[in-house]
Formats: sequence, structure tokens, C-alpha cells
Amino acid sequence: MKKTVKRVVCAVAAAVMVFGGAACGKKEVPVIGISQYGEHSSLDNCRNGFLKGLEDAGLKEGTDYSVDYQNAGFDDNICTQIGQNFSAKNVALMCGIATNAATACFAAAEDKDIPVIFTAISDPVEAKLDKGNITGTSDKLPIEAQLDLIRKLQPDAKTIGILYTTSEPNSVSAIKEYQEKAGAYGFTIEALGVTAQSEVTQATDTLISKKVDCFSNLTDNNVVGVLSSVLEKTNEAGIPVYGSEIEQVVKGCVAAAGIDYYELGRQTGAMAAKVLKGEAKTSEIPYETITEYGIYINSGAITEMGITVPEDVAEKAIEAQEE
Amino acid sequence: MVDLIISTVTQGFIYALLSYGIYITYKILDFPDLTVDGSFPLGAAVTALLLVKGGNPYLTLLAALAAGALAGLVTGIIHVCFKVRDLLAGIITMTALFSINLQIAGSNLAVGRDVATLFTAEPVKTLFGSLSLLQRKLIVSFFLMLLVKLLLDLYFKTKNGLLLRAAGDNEVLVTSLAKDKGKVKILGLVIANALVALCGCLVCHEQRSFSATMGTGQMVFGLATVIIGTTIFKKEGFVKGTTAAVAGSVIYKICIQIAISLGLPANLLKLVTAVLFLVILVVGNRQKGGGRANA
Repeated sequence: MKKTVKRVVCAVAAAVMVFGGAACGKKEVPVIGISQYGEHSSLDNCRNGFLKGLEDAGLKEGTDYSVDYQNAGFDDNICTQIGQNFSAKNVALMCGIATNAATACFAAAEDKDIPVIFTAISDPVEAKLDKGNITGTSDKLPIEAQLDLIRKLQPDAKTIGILYTTSEPNSVSAIKEYQEKAGAYGFTIEALGVTAQSEVTQATDTLISKKVDCFSNLTDNNVVGVLSSVLEKTNEAGIPVYGSEIEQVVKGCVAAAGIDYYELGRQTGAMAAKVLKGEAKTSEIPYETITEYGIYINSGAITEMGITVPEDVAEKAIEAQEE
Repeated sequence: MVDLIISTVTQGFIYALLSYGIYITYKILDFPDLTVDGSFPLGAAVTALLLVKGGNPYLTLLAALAAGALAGLVTGIIHVCFKVRDLLAGIITMTALFSINLQIAGSNLAVGRDVATLFTAEPVKTLFGSLSLLQRKLIVSFFLMLLVKLLLDLYFKTKNGLLLRAAGDNEVLVTSLAKDKGKVKILGLVIANALVALCGCLVCHEQRSFSATMGTGQMVFGLATVIIGTTIFKKEGFVKGTTAAVAGSVIYKICIQIAISLGLPANLLKLVTAVLFLVILVVGNRQKGGGRANA
């Protein structure tokens, strides 16, 4: 028993040293704690844009602020502990990238009322992140623009197939909007839900067998995560896939009307800079939704699918291809 | 610094409820129960729904217990009555619960800050209102952890509890006592999953949200805590299993917090955590003199 007690004491002492060291190591500049839900190219772009936004506002890392960046690896429990870590360190500001990370930050910030800024959340109202010492940017998809784009590129298309994860709130609300608005553009939506990434390729086969005219992607983490294997199957079947942001087009989707996550992050960074400078309070800034969207096309994929791009689309479109 | 220790230990206490559940199924019944990945978010889903609808926070504890018990009952019946293998029986219930949870609470359900939770409602507010929310969370979770532990310890000493313990070790004994070992197993699963859902309930109060994915990996987490706890106290025969479960849960959360606090590149977090676990298990086994792989 003595030994056990000793060991427990040692372990606690070690933990105290590590925690203490981490707490004392930082200089007296305000710390921004960034909690990112997982490793994902859109979320990475968001984070980089956020840092750029701070820089553009004239703040310098090291002298004006320092960053404590943590990635939860898509684990909700780790999100919780990251938020608590930031709260214990009394960070000046928390930045939550994606819903689960932002929710955890907001919960951890409740006690000390630390300001929280979120980004990459489709529906801040439903996530109850619209009231309190919190603000940020929403990445709601420009669905009507996407439908319009598909109609212009494929004038004869009738059905759009969409894969989504039933447990991702962003996807569920996007599907709802697709179904509401598709009729106006003469489309019917064939939506197919999956519960895990491992089911995506199987679901792709199902949609192909239903003879959809094209696929349209959401910003669904599970589906985007295995986009290459989806594209392999659709390319073989000769079905074009539309993305929802630039990264997906770079990976081989034909086109997208989508938001630029780097820009979204930059907009968020600008808000954070205002808060850090004391120009505004998070509780007073309403959250912002990006209204600007870009048209991205991948000429290689377009030619392969035999799609002709009308003049008016080509003028606005930005080429997005892997070098 | 003190805050960080408080919040980390609080997490350990909250998740100790889940560890008790895994302790019952894995250590006592020798039943790898995957229902946990579904019953944990089930507890949270029921809680979130009730809180959003204006339900009493204390009622959510009972509702979560009942929902979890039902989930355990289903797994038990599938396993005992339909003779489905233990792992598969759990997988079936877990899979079904994924959809059921979505039906109950949608893919995400947030509880606004204006809604009172266990930590902000009466009588906690009157009793500990002067303390910070952080401290209140510690007190409430400690109280619940201790209450459930004491109740479980008492239960294990009753005739029924002894039968439960016998069912995992020596099924023949249970049968020779003219008792139905199937019923005993079902009862164990019911208790375990009720506790797991209670843990989900508390997490929902603490995080003010339910997400459909929150159950992923909870079974693995629970196994790790029970193994860490029992490895550390292996030699101390008088240390109760429930105590080991609490210790395992707290140590696990401390390990993750250390990994976060080390300030290493964010992507190395899980690797660091894994290394910390390995060190604990190896040191725990070494000091017992033998290199027997118990973990």
C-alpha cells in the first residue's frame, strides 16, 4: 500500500510540474486558444485564414498575441478538455473551429466568461452559439448558387445525388435546403445518408445505380474525407461530381459554387482582432454569414465529362486544379 | 493551474460513472459490451431533450438511468434469449441506438446558457452559490461519483450482488445454486448501461450539448480506465473495484490533459496519450515483480 501511495504522490507531483510548467512558460502577451475539431483541409484553411486576419489587422504574433493551437482529432471528449485547458490558462480569447470544438469552448468559457469566436459553423442559432459572450462566422453553403451552376453546366440533368452523414447537423440542414430549393431549378434530389465513413463508397455505388445525373457534395466530413474513392467510382460511371468548396475541385470535382474557407477564416480573424484591441465586445458583435462565394472549375475534369462551360460561367470561374 | 486540476479531476469523476459500468460488464461479467457507445449518447440525448423542453434537471438523471437500463436490457435479451454472441449483441444494440438517438435529439442538440443544469439549479445554487461554476461542477460530480460507488459497493455484498460476481467467474456455481445465469447477466447489463447513460447525462449537463458522435470510442475509453485502475491497485487486495475504476478514469483524463498541456504539435496528441498509458501500464506491472501480461 505504501508503495502505491508513493507512486500516486509521484504521479500527481509530475502532473503538477507539467501543468505548472505549461502555465508559467508563456510570456505576458494575450493568448488565443484555437481549438480545431479535426485534421481537415477546409478547417486548416480556416485556421490559416484566421491567423492572416489577425495579421492584416496589424497585430503581430509574439508581441501582440500568442497562439495555443490544439487539434481534437474529431474526438468530442478531447474538445472538452482542450476548452478546459484554455479556460484554466485564462486565455484572452478562444477560437473554436467547427461546431463541436466551438460548443466545448463555449461550455468551458462559461465560468470565467472568456470571449469565444467560432468559425465553420453552418447554423449558429441551432447550436445555441448566437447569444452570450460569443460571435463568429457561419459557413452556410450557397446552395442556390450551386443549383444554378449545375443547371448551367448540365442543362438536361434531372436528378442530383447527394451523400451525407446523418449525424452531421450541417449536412442535415443543407439537405433540407437542397430539397426545398431544387424544384425551382427543375431538379429532384436523391439524398442518401450514411452513418460512418466506411459506408460512403457503398453508398456511392447505390447512387450510381439509381442513375443520378450528377453528384453534389456538401462540406460533410465523412464524405469529403474519402472523396478520392468516390470520384474513382463516378469517373468510371461518367457522372460529374460538384464540390462545395475549392479544395474539393482541386481534388477532381468538376466545379463548385462554394465559399473560400481561407477567406472565411480571415473574416473571423478580423473580428478577433477587434476584440483583442478592445474595439468591440464579442457579446455585441453579431455573427456573420459569408455572402460572397466563388465559382471554381477544374478544366481537366470538365473536359473528361464532356461538359461545355457557358460564357457567363467561364468569365466568373476560377481555375482550381492540382499542379 | 488549480483550475486545470479541478476541471480535469471533475472530468475524471464524471466519467467514473461510465467506468463503473464497464467494470461490471468487462471485469465482473467478462462481457465485452459495445452497447456503451450507444447508451452513453442515449443518456445525453434524453437529457438534452428534457432540458430543452424545460424539464427538471434532476428528472434527467432518472430518465437517463431508465433509458440506459432499457438499452442494457435489450442487449441482454438479444444475448441470452436469442443466443447471439456477446460482442455482436452489443453491436446490434449500439447500431440501433445510433438511429434512435438521432430520432430523440437530432444530430446535435444544444442547451442554451439560460437553461438551468444540475450545476446551476437549486439546491446546488443556494448551497454552493458563492463558489465558481468550476468548483460547483467538481462538488456535484464528486458527490454523484461517491454516491454511486457506495451504492454499488453495498450491492455487491448482497446475495444478488454476489450472484452477479459469480456469474462472470464461475457460471457453474450460479447454475448449481439453482439460479438462472442468463437472468443474472441481463441484470448486470441493465445496471452497467444505466450507469453509462447516467454518465452521458452528466456530460450533457456539463457541456450543454448532445452530439450524435459523442459515443464513439467510449467503450475503448472505459476499458482503458478499468485496466489502468486495476493494474495500479493489483496488489492492494482490499481496494475495491469501484475505487480502481474512479482512479483509472481520473488518471486517464490527467494523461490527456498532460498531453494537451505539453504544447507539442497538435497532431501528436493521441500519440503522446498512448505513450503515457503504456508507461503507466508497464510501470504498474513491473513494480508487481512479475512481467505477466494482465492488461
